[in-house]
Amino acid sequence: MHFIEEVFRNLSTWGLTALVLAIGIAETALGLYKNQWDKNEWTLNVVCFTVPRIIVRPLVTYFTLKFLPYALPGFKDTLDWIPFVWGALIIAIADDLTQYWYHRLHHEVPFLWRFHRTHHSAPYMGMAMASRQNIIYTMFFSQTYLTAALVYVGLGYPALFVKVIKSIITTLAHSSIAWDKPFYQNKWLHPIAWVLERTISTPATHHAHHADTTDDGVGNYKGNFGNMFFIWDVIFGTGVISRQYPKSYGIKFYKEEEWYAQFLWPILKSKKVGSELAVDGPMVGEDPENKLEIDGDSIKRPQSRSFELA
Amino acid sequence: MRMEDRIRDRIIKNAFLSIFIYGLPVVLMFLTFSITGQRPWEKKQKEKEKVRTEKTNSPSQND
Repeated sequence: MHFIEEVFRNLSTWGLTALVLAIGIAETALGLYKNQWDKNEWTLNVVCFTVPRIIVRPLVTYFTLKFLPYALPGFKDTLDWIPFVWGALIIAIADDLTQYWYHRLHHEVPFLWRFHRTHHSAPYMGMAMASRQNIIYTMFFSQTYLTAALVYVGLGYPALFVKVIKSIITTLAHSSIAWDKPFYQNKWLHPIAWVLERTISTPATHHAHHADTTDDGVGNYKGNFGNMFFIWDVIFGTGVISRQYPKSYGIKFYKEEEWYAQFLWPILKSKKVGSELAVDGPMVGEDPENKLEIDGDSIKRPQSRSFELA
Repeated sequence: MRMEDRIRDRIIKNAFLSIFIYGLPVVLMFLTFSITGQRPWEKKQKEKEKVRTEKTNSPSQND
């Protein structure tokens, strides 16, 4: 047990970052991003990977060490009697269900969409996508603060294991490694695949969430919101399981906005005309494919990601 | 721009279901304790008291 504990501690502190970097470098070397990463994409992905690690981690540490003892005096370690298995279950559900809602609301509430848009703007999938987020979205990750509070009241030990397992699942769900493919290709593994794809996020179900269309029966950007667990999508009816990978990714109305606007909107805005991130840009962009051409006149069909224009 | 009514209604319905899911592991844990007779909080309390007593009884390193 001590060995496993040490493995998780090392993964938590530096191992996962190293793993993500190594796979990211391998993806680049193998040409995954060939012709897709221009200077703007490079800068955005590198900034999104590094800056939150410098800003958000100290913020969470401050929250845990300073704010929580002030807000909840006398509650430190009061629940440290909870057995490991129950503690892990409580943390896993509290953390991941909160993240499911945080994520889902950023898709379904029009006002919130632009804070999450950066995560969906890339027309490719890969390791870099896991950390590609607007800084405001990252800073207000609600599950981070909830889990910090649960650690404060005594669930720190099970949290270590849950957080590492969750990071591995979510990172691999974004990566180009289709680790789930053998489960669909081999008939004798289908029963395992059935359970797996309904329980946790797999590359197939999460890639579908990053697809740029829902018309092909594979893409489901209006659902598949689960991060570690896919079961939330099953329970709430927001999931689509196709066992296939989308042909194309991103958002149809992407205007390759400047990296600083994607990372820091609404502090910095885009100069691209008509962009969702521009000063007078629309709250939710319009899909160019949803324009109907009738007698040469363009009639706009009011459909975009999860919302409808009022 | 506003949210579709269908989406809003689904969010409200699912939010209520979520409250139940958040509480489920805690309810199941105490249900298990009541069935098995386990009282882990008492065991932990005794352990803490034992550590406290040992600390009080041990000679000061500064003497």
